[in-house]
Amino acid sequence: MSDFAGMEDLLQDFLIEAGDLLSGVDNKLVDLERSPDDRGLLNDIFRGFHTIKGGAGFLNATELVTLCHLTENLFDKLRNGELSVTPEGMDVILAATAAVRDMFGYLERGSQPPAADAALIEGLKATISGEAAAPVPAPAKPAVTPPPAAPRASGGTANEPDWNLLYNAVTGLPVPVAEVRAPEPMQAVVEKPLEDVVQSALGRRATDKPTAAAPPAGRREGERQRDNSIRVDTARLDQVLNLSGEIGLTKNRLNALRSDILSGRNDTETLHALDLAVSQLDLLVSDLQNAVMKTRMQPIGRLFQKYPRIARDLARNLGKDVELVLAGEETEIDKTMIEDLSDPIIHLIRNAVDHGVEESSERVANGKPTKSIVRLEARQEGDHIVIMVADDGRGMNAERLRAKAVEKGLITDEEANTMDERQSYNLVFLPGFSMAAKVSDVSGRGVGMDVVRTNIQKLNGSIDIRSQQGKGTTFVISLPLTLAILPVLLVRLGEQPFAVPLSMVREILPVDPKEVQEVGGRATMVVRGEVLPILPLSSLLGWSQERTPEYGVLMQTAELSFILAIDSFAGREDAVIKSLDDFRPKGVAGVTTLSNGQIVLILDMKELLGGAGEQRGVARAALMRQSVAAFA
Amino acid sequence: MADPKMRFLVVDDFSTMRRIVRNLLKELGYTNVEEAEDGAVALQKLNSSQFEFVVTDWNMPNMDGLTLLQTIRQTPHLKHLPVLMITAEAKKENIIAAAQAGASGYIVKPFTAATLAEKLEKIFEKLGKSAVA
Repeated sequence: MSDFAGMEDLLQDFLIEAGDLLSGVDNKLVDLERSPDDRGLLNDIFRGFHTIKGGAGFLNATELVTLCHLTENLFDKLRNGELSVTPEGMDVILAATAAVRDMFGYLERGSQPPAADAALIEGLKATISGEAAAPVPAPAKPAVTPPPAAPRASGGTANEPDWNLLYNAVTGLPVPVAEVRAPEPMQAVVEKPLEDVVQSALGRRATDKPTAAAPPAGRREGERQRDNSIRVDTARLDQVLNLSGEIGLTKNRLNALRSDILSGRNDTETLHALDLAVSQLDLLVSDLQNAVMKTRMQPIGRLFQKYPRIARDLARNLGKDVELVLAGEETEIDKTMIEDLSDPIIHLIRNAVDHGVEESSERVANGKPTKSIVRLEARQEGDHIVIMVADDGRGMNAERLRAKAVEKGLITDEEANTMDERQSYNLVFLPGFSMAAKVSDVSGRGVGMDVVRTNIQKLNGSIDIRSQQGKGTTFVISLPLTLAILPVLLVRLGEQPFAVPLSMVREILPVDPKEVQEVGGRATMVVRGEVLPILPLSSLLGWSQERTPEYGVLMQTAELSFILAIDSFAGREDAVIKSLDDFRPKGVAGVTTLSNGQIVLILDMKELLGGAGEQRGVARAALMRQSVAAFA
Repeated sequence: MADPKMRFLVVDDFSTMRRIVRNLLKELGYTNVEEAEDGAVALQKLNSSQFEFVVTDWNMPNMDGLTLLQTIRQTPHLKHLPVLMITAEAKKENIIAAAQAGASGYIVKPFTAATLAEKLEKIFEKLGKSAVA
């Protein structure tokens, strides 16, 4: 069923490379709008389309070749100064770029793309010929066709120049007759099929719709196909190879030592050598883990690339002047995460442009520059990646957010009164906090924000909001470097260990019964002025509590901070997560194996807590009952 | 066919295209192929080791194929190298420019192994003649 039998590898290569290229082109187009006369940019974009065309030719993707060819012609004229960049021209160019991307979508699904929208082809041709492209081109055939095609001179097989003839002609060797005329037939022959293609494209309006409608439906499959391959710097692979070699050597050493020990040699020297070999293996294995992990790491710039274009389109639709500034594109992140981050970031950028940034008039009135800057930034902080989307807009109003949430029935008046600013901002993440009715209102934020947060949390990340009225709002996403290894804290309930993600742990403190107070019927503890509920792990798991918890782990999720009451600790560990594919009990993210071979459940705290912001807790007496009983 | 061990340098900024050319050459029996991603890298490789044939794209960043060709022709120890230009363009100006710069052949994308074979054959033929003369 694939149109590319036997060419699958080539197709995959092409899609990955051409996809990157197109993203680059997209970005340069945004830059081009700002500096329309930049020759370097024009040249780069020209080359982008040219290269895609060249590759597409080998895949027999005729329609893609046609489209790229026209776009390339346009850029050729632009870079030569024959035409200049106009807003109308820009729209046509952007539409062409989008159409190229749609065609990649078809290729991904293993089918030849249909002809581009006839209106687009018309627009391109009109722009090339220097006319202002009509917004809705007439369905009639264009007066303008590609460069006039001279009549076919020679036989059909000659779709390539007679190189020798030309060579001789130009270098002044005999064959004077061909001197001027030789090139013409060649041009004609090459141009001719193209024209045919264009004409056939014009007659195929019926195929327009799939271009717009089909990709979302089939994309999943296509993407999955693409997911399977990854481009890795050979230097990184060499490192993996090198380390595996070293591990092999150490293994040999250990084998030798084992024979020695089994045959009765267990003097200090042998044991020392064993110790040394094991330590070395330890080091090498963790290096190897790192190296392997690194092969999955990709610069986040690949993801960022497409956003300036999205921001630009949206700002233009809204009549705002917004520039998306990128920083930290070289920051590396697990490839699987890059894909899953795409939508949440788009959402945050849309939000910033749509709701965060004020109308120009309002900005001027507030003494701000008309042009607003939205920053998209990534950086590594320790073992975390931090991604920020910051606008310089009007900021959020905690008071109004609370009022809105109460009005929507999401929180009670009482809850609203106890909320600080941070908690108020986080209200936008509540499902149902959509403000579709009043989009212009500051609290219009929140359309689908719950989905953003859910997606980030799926990646074991967290999202936080910082905002200052009149200055702007910043969304801060924090993510682990990789999903494969999860740093966990091992806690014990009785003798049973459980692992909780270290990313949520803020601190560990003893639970002193004297400091446990009851507030609103729930056991709480005051930590540095903050009243925090105490949630015993046993009650979260539905176990009966056998003794009074001795320790508390201060944990923080996006919606609440609490103290997880436990019996004791077993330390921290970098857990390699094994997922439970078919059987997944509520509240269990996966399992891991400890150094002693014991299997431990990794708890999914958010699921255990059940529901966003749920105010769960137990009475003080319930928490302390056992100890009271013990004393009685 | 010429010596199958002949060492080729394939120059293109698009790695997919390098792979295509490499595969086509392989189909023709030439397996000794090196790659370079632009004219500048190609020159480095040409200067640091021995090649017998250059197949280059035209449009590349840093140094394009035409400049590469011109530089090769101006460099005493490289100027004898056969250079086959590959491009998506069949424009008169381009072909003339390539010819004037001293290209040994010119091939328009997309092409098949047969077309490539034919081009190479012609170039070898010419090389043979000039060697005799």
